[in-house]
Amino acid sequence: MTAHVLPPAPPVERPRVLVVGAAFAAAASFMVFIALFGVYFTARSDVVGGGSAWLPEGSTIPLQQPNTIFITLIMTVVTMQWAVSAISKNDRVNAYLALGLTLMLGIATIVMTTYLWTLMELDIASGLQGVLIYTITGAHTVMLVLAMVFVALMALRALGGQFTARQHDGITAAAVYWYAMVAVFALIWISIYITK
Amino acid sequence: MALTDTRPETGTDVTSVAPSVVPSPLTIFGSGDHKAVGTFYVLAALVFGIAGWIATALASAHIIGSGSFLSETVGTQVLQTSKIGLILLVIVPLFLGLATYIVPLQVGASTVAFPRAAAAAMWTWLLSSGVFVVASFIEGGFGGVRAKSVSLTLLALGGLIVALLLGTVCVLTTAITLRTPGMTLDRVPMFTFSMLVGGAIWMLTLPVLFANLVLIWVDHRYGGGTVFGASESQFGQVSWITHQPQIYAFLIPGLGIVADVVATLTGARLGKRNLLLTAIGAFGVLSVGAWAQAAIYPSFSEDLVWQAMGLLILLPLLLLLGGIAAAFKDGKPSLKSPLGLAVVSIVLTFLGVFAGALLVITPLELRTTNFFANGQAILVLGAALAAGAAGIGYWGPKMTGGHLADGIGKLNVLVMLGGGILGGVSLCVVGFASRFSGLSGAQDTLVVISVIGSALFAIGCILVILGLASGARKGAPEAGDDAWGTGQTLEWACPSPPPTGNFGDLAVVRSPEPLLDEEA
Repeated sequence: MTAHVLPPAPPVERPRVLVVGAAFAAAASFMVFIALFGVYFTARSDVVGGGSAWLPEGSTIPLQQPNTIFITLIMTVVTMQWAVSAISKNDRVNAYLALGLTLMLGIATIVMTTYLWTLMELDIASGLQGVLIYTITGAHTVMLVLAMVFVALMALRALGGQFTARQHDGITAAAVYWYAMVAVFALIWISIYITK
Repeated sequence: MALTDTRPETGTDVTSVAPSVVPSPLTIFGSGDHKAVGTFYVLAALVFGIAGWIATALASAHIIGSGSFLSETVGTQVLQTSKIGLILLVIVPLFLGLATYIVPLQVGASTVAFPRAAAAAMWTWLLSSGVFVVASFIEGGFGGVRAKSVSLTLLALGGLIVALLLGTVCVLTTAITLRTPGMTLDRVPMFTFSMLVGGAIWMLTLPVLFANLVLIWVDHRYGGGTVFGASESQFGQVSWITHQPQIYAFLIPGLGIVADVVATLTGARLGKRNLLLTAIGAFGVLSVGAWAQAAIYPSFSEDLVWQAMGLLILLPLLLLLGGIAAAFKDGKPSLKSPLGLAVVSIVLTFLGVFAGALLVITPLELRTTNFFANGQAILVLGAALAAGAAGIGYWGPKMTGGHLADGIGKLNVLVMLGGGILGGVSLCVVGFASRFSGLSGAQDTLVVISVIGSALFAIGCILVILGLASGARKGAPEAGDDAWGTGQTLEWACPSPPPTGNFGDLAVVRSPEPLLDEEA
């Protein structure tokens, strides 16, 4: 007797509500940084145009820590995409592993960022440089924490069995916000740490 | 109607249990029902509107004569607080409330996207608004005397913006992902489309305001307050939202309301609809003003882009006016109060945008004092309020289940028109006349007239609340599904007020006016 194997069911047509919502949230977060960078570049242009160095005397921004942070965040892009790819193949073990690694690397980024702040010897009350640099890097850390909360919630939902190969919008939405957060750091890395 | 496709969202099943007409805080506490959330937004915004317009009147009264009505500090703070408050506590939440209620109905959805987030946004906005008001009273506000109160003001404004953005995300996601089959983006009702445009502009620009506030707060709280947090420079960093072109962004949903009201109450399909949609989109693009910040770009008013935007924005508005005029010509206008309020709104919009066009013409020297710009702001915000009142009058029967007392609405037509003309035009005249020494004596009289105009807008807010109450009262004539009998869009296909789940089965939409197709 011949066994009849049915073809796989077509993907469910459904509104990607969470992905669209996350994209809007990411866009709004991105605009916050665009605005902060607008003020930052204007202020830096004024200071440098006046013949002064941008960073106050005695302050320094080492490159090792920002580079480490950037590499760490690039690794999180890989792990996040790994999670999306794994859940879309119903490979739950790999999905859990990837989400866990993403969160761990996120914690490592926070640790490295706070360590960098201690190394900079930049007083927040030293003038507009201190206020701008701490506001931008601090706001990015807040965005990172929000992204981590988003990923953690989706990881818990995944552990609860809510996501499948056909319905994994939650993980995708968290990935969208995570990628936006990494893109923001790329701007910070170039604007604040490299071209200081 | 025949069901020919599966509706996209998986919302709650429709039940025959109608919700309470005007929800009490107790019934909506914890509710994610978009109708309850929207109604509460609207009512709270109107209450804030009364206070906001009274504060505007006080700020104008302060400059009469020697300026001794209020102390200099208090007078300045009332002026600044009222300007910001009218936008973030009144106009934006008024439109957002209407959108939270109406957009899901217009696109045939059973609920708003992220209903709990929408509820959380509303409560956060309400709480932040309360804190903002309280902080302003205890010597807070921008550049306030008491440092902790200033911090509280900044935190409250930050909360306000986050809440409004969250609410906007819910509405935008609803319009993009939860449309019923066949409703392509060019077929969505005008109000929904205008919320898409306006909401997108808010999503792009309100985060910029948030960034300004964060910088002010960080410097004020931790940086010694010498740069961004300096008392005298705080308001200057956020005042761009009260000036053109950004102030037009808060008017965009009003354009859609006016178009929907005119189409239904004239009984005509809007001609050249795609052109009108493009006009609303162009109006939105030309209202992006986050870059025109005097604090970081002091000479923005000399920038050709700023001047061109101020002039070019007249073009899409004229296109919209043409479309609305054509609807009046092709249809049979029903002399109901929402139509009158829509006309008042579009008249004030035109006056405000025209005044803005004059403002950018440097040889006219209208930027030498703040009078003209303040008058223009009152015209634009008054136009937005009138559009909101038109929307409430128009969708009020849907919200309350009963017809609203049209007499109150008609009285409000006169009140809103008077508010705009007296409140806005008189200040514009002061701004124009201040160049001529012989006319300077008329300044006090004109400012008194402006005070009366602002007070009329406060009365207008009261009348809108009374109008809503008249629809909700026992014995109000039942509205039925289609309260006007000429409804064109899907919100008029569900009961009034809509039950949980809003709709039963919906047909595939085949045009922007699905109810007219059904009749045909």
